[in-house]
Amino acid sequence: MALLEIDDLVVRFRTHDATIHAVNGVSFDIDAGETLGLVGESGCGKSVTNLAVMRLLPRPAGRIEGGSVRFEGIDLTRIAEADMRDIRGKDIAMIFQDPMTSLNPVLTVEEQMVETIQAHRRVGSAAARARAVELLGMVGIPEPASRLRNFPHQFSGGMRQRVMIAMALALEPKLLIADEPTTALDVTIQAQVLEVLQRLTAERGTAVILITHDLGVVAGMTRRINVMYAGFVVETATTPELFAAPRHPYTVGLLHSIPRLDEREDSSLVPIEGTPPDLRRAPVGCPFAPRCAWRLPRCWDENPSLLPFVPTERVTTTGPGATHRLACWNPATAEEARAGRPLREGFVTASLPSPSSPGDAAAEAEDVVEFETPQGGTDR
Amino acid sequence: MLRFIVRRVLSAIPVLFGLSVILFGFLHVLPGAGPAEAILGQHATPQLVAQFNHDFGLDRPLYEQYLGYLGRLFRGDFGSSVVDGRAVSSVFLVRFPATIELTVGALIFAVGLGIPLGRLAARHPNGWVDGLVTVISLFGISIPIFVLGYTLVFVFGVTLHWLPAIGQLDPRLRVDPVTHFAIVDAILSGRPNAVVDAVAHLILPSIALGSIPLAIVTRITRASVIDVSNEDYVRTARAKGLSEGRVDSRHIMRNAWLPVTTVIGLQVGGLLAGAVLTETVFSWNGVGSWVVAAIQNHDYVVVQSLILIFATIFLLVNLVVDIGYAFLNPRIRYS
Amino acid sequence: MTALEPTIVVRAAPRASRGLWGDAWQRLLRNGPALVGLVCIAIFVVGAVLAPYIAPYDPTVGNLAQGRQGPSAAHLMGTDLLGRDELTRVLYGARISLTVGVIAVFFGLVFGSVIGAVAGGVGGRVDTVLMRIVDVLLAVPGILLAIGIVAWLGHGELQIMLAVGVSYAPIFARLLRGSLLALRESDFVIAARSIGASGPRLLLRHMLPNALTPLIVQATLALATAIIDVAGLGFLGLGPGDPRIAEWGEMLTDSARFLQSAPHLIFFPGAAIVISAIGFNLLGDGLRESLDPRLKR
Repeated sequence: MALLEIDDLVVRFRTHDATIHAVNGVSFDIDAGETLGLVGESGCGKSVTNLAVMRLLPRPAGRIEGGSVRFEGIDLTRIAEADMRDIRGKDIAMIFQDPMTSLNPVLTVEEQMVETIQAHRRVGSAAARARAVELLGMVGIPEPASRLRNFPHQFSGGMRQRVMIAMALALEPKLLIADEPTTALDVTIQAQVLEVLQRLTAERGTAVILITHDLGVVAGMTRRINVMYAGFVVETATTPELFAAPRHPYTVGLLHSIPRLDEREDSSLVPIEGTPPDLRRAPVGCPFAPRCAWRLPRCWDENPSLLPFVPTERVTTTGPGATHRLACWNPATAEEARAGRPLREGFVTASLPSPSSPGDAAAEAEDVVEFETPQGGTDR
Repeated sequence: MLRFIVRRVLSAIPVLFGLSVILFGFLHVLPGAGPAEAILGQHATPQLVAQFNHDFGLDRPLYEQYLGYLGRLFRGDFGSSVVDGRAVSSVFLVRFPATIELTVGALIFAVGLGIPLGRLAARHPNGWVDGLVTVISLFGISIPIFVLGYTLVFVFGVTLHWLPAIGQLDPRLRVDPVTHFAIVDAILSGRPNAVVDAVAHLILPSIALGSIPLAIVTRITRASVIDVSNEDYVRTARAKGLSEGRVDSRHIMRNAWLPVTTVIGLQVGGLLAGAVLTETVFSWNGVGSWVVAAIQNHDYVVVQSLILIFATIFLLVNLVVDIGYAFLNPRIRYS
Repeated sequence: MTALEPTIVVRAAPRASRGLWGDAWQRLLRNGPALVGLVCIAIFVVGAVLAPYIAPYDPTVGNLAQGRQGPSAAHLMGTDLLGRDELTRVLYGARISLTVGVIAVFFGLVFGSVIGAVAGGVGGRVDTVLMRIVDVLLAVPGILLAIGIVAWLGHGELQIMLAVGVSYAPIFARLLRGSLLALRESDFVIAARSIGASGPRLLLRHMLPNALTPLIVQATLALATAIIDVAGLGFLGLGPGDPRIAEWGEMLTDSARFLQSAPHLIFFPGAAIVISAIGFNLLGDGLRESLDPRLKR
């Protein structure tokens, strides 16, 4: 049994104006000690999935409307709030994107760390304080004892994120969810914070779900990667496999949006045409179809399931031997993956979507070219 | 922090000076007739006017008069009523406590009811409680103090006979005016029924005067709590597994207080101004009704001095509020 | 593997935007409370404007023998102390409140905007001096300033307009100045400058439309306060001063003594003030929501 097993999770936001289909049937597992990357553009559901795991969806609009989330065998979607509170911070911890707004500005770092510890353990203030000093030292903050009395605004961005990491790891959780931990930081600081994260979680055997839109970040840190799009997982593979042999057209597109040092000088970036889907509509067919150069007529009507790329008997969902799975009716071949576009006859790149799908009025004809260059991409 | 305080205090001083100049000019630049003619009225003959001007030093050069005026102010001499000759400062000390009582009563009503209502409304935004609170707020700012005052008197005083409508104390109780704070004097008199009577007299005026601040405090509390509840750090607090009570008190309210306290401080100025109307409705012997009487009696010295005093109090309160806010907000305190 | 025809399909375009004002008007019409406010205002304005035509009696003529009578078929709102028809007086009182209130706010708006625009537009020393003057005006709290000015200037409608207008001017001045200062530093203004826009053109086309919306909201809310303040001045005996003119505040003072015997004389003018104030407050809140282009509805 894996540490965390998410099965067919569905999350929707219901307001009186519209319903947003944020997560539409996401399944994945993570083992103890594994680092899993969750990659995708803004709005693909990667953050919402994890907020759902923690049951921190914004109320009352956000609701889990299907599926299960099993943590150490217990379905988190069904337990009482008091039990969930017990798990939060202690067994599963989460750190967020912007450390400036994620820390309470009127409380000292000491107060915020001590309350975390005392919420789950019966320890006196002195003991909690000592632990806080120890934690701050662990994440590399100089003079931790005196810095405890500072307020968040008195720290730099990178330092603040380290404080958040320290708070998250205070109770030695089994799983750490890091939601875009370095997106708000300068590139040079990013590396430092990621290093701290990697070192500490490796030392403690903490499983990590690392959410980001930056492929460069996941490349160095994760063992496996899930690629998400429009509330679905579209491809999952081990990290080396995903970078070497991506098969889903979206993944191919993502990888080709990053300039690479080893490319020929005269080659151009291959953008992914079109715009992200409107999540206010319930998904029909493959969500990537409007923008997909590999699309078949069937893609408009039937949403492909996440299946192994190479048919196998046993599907391994976790670990270094995890099966490479993707959800696509017409995956890219190895050469097409390298080229970044279909090479077979009958497929035209940079084409406008056809109106052949009756139910899909969302097919937009705007000739908008989106450059999907992730922020802070490293050179690979 | 200290520098902030000093700067703030220093910036208030020119404002006071400017105000004193304007108020000085007010007395000496009356449109139409001069103060002598206005006060003497029909009896104004040229000799009486000249005598009057001489008595009050109104025939000296303006700048000299202004300096004299300033000098007197610094010594605490706010002039004397032209109607009955009593010193403004001594009458002020007798009447001001009543206004303070009224203002405090209104504040207690506004804050004591406003903050819980605002929090309640914020807990279920757009629910029926929120709707009700919004309607109460709307009426609070749309009903003038005097309309509300008379309505309250009619319902609770005249019709139901539950609460008294006039003054601070039942004169038949013969409470000695020692401090001129009705409640304190009642306590000092040692008679519990006097204390009850004093409190009862304070209820209706406090509600009338506090209606506007109530509406405003409710609105700002609601908005502040909603804003803070949506902040990232509240989500972090929940992610750490803290109980809802802790999240609410330490994370939400501690931050939501800040704008609310500022607003409360600012309301004090409005309360001072509103006291003028409230004291008239309830025949309260405070400074507010004194201003109105002084205007009607053309007692310009009193009007001028009272406005200056009101403004000074208002500026002082704003100063305290600003400094208090800087103190409470660590981002300003430690920068 | 079929070839795809590059035909272009345009789906129904989203509801066309009619620009800032058109959109705002649409949003306003869909705002329930704001519509209620508009109805209240309509009652008030119609009553005020058409008073001479729809009022059943003459506001200055009264039959003493029939004084202080409650509502009846002949007098829907009863009669006042001098036997005059209360409904007529309330309608005529609306005229005073409307004219004095509107002109006072208008005056405050103009006066304050000029100060604010100069201070915010020019900046520097001028800004500091102007804001100091504004501070002095703001040092006298609330209605006290208006009271002081009326005490100084004497009785009369014009005096009241000036007094109330001056007491509102500082708010508008600060508002406009704040908007202009913020806008000067905002990205889109810098962008406009970078393509060559400058000076008056910058001010008019780019900055003012943005700065105007909070002013409009504030002016509408100020109308509510103005109606109350004008009545307040009347209540304190600082009203227009002409006993023939029906002014709501003065009507309240005159009738206060008869609270027990003739409560309708307090109720009707009071209700009139409240309904008018509610109207402008609701409209102001509605405008605030609808004029914010960032709020998606």
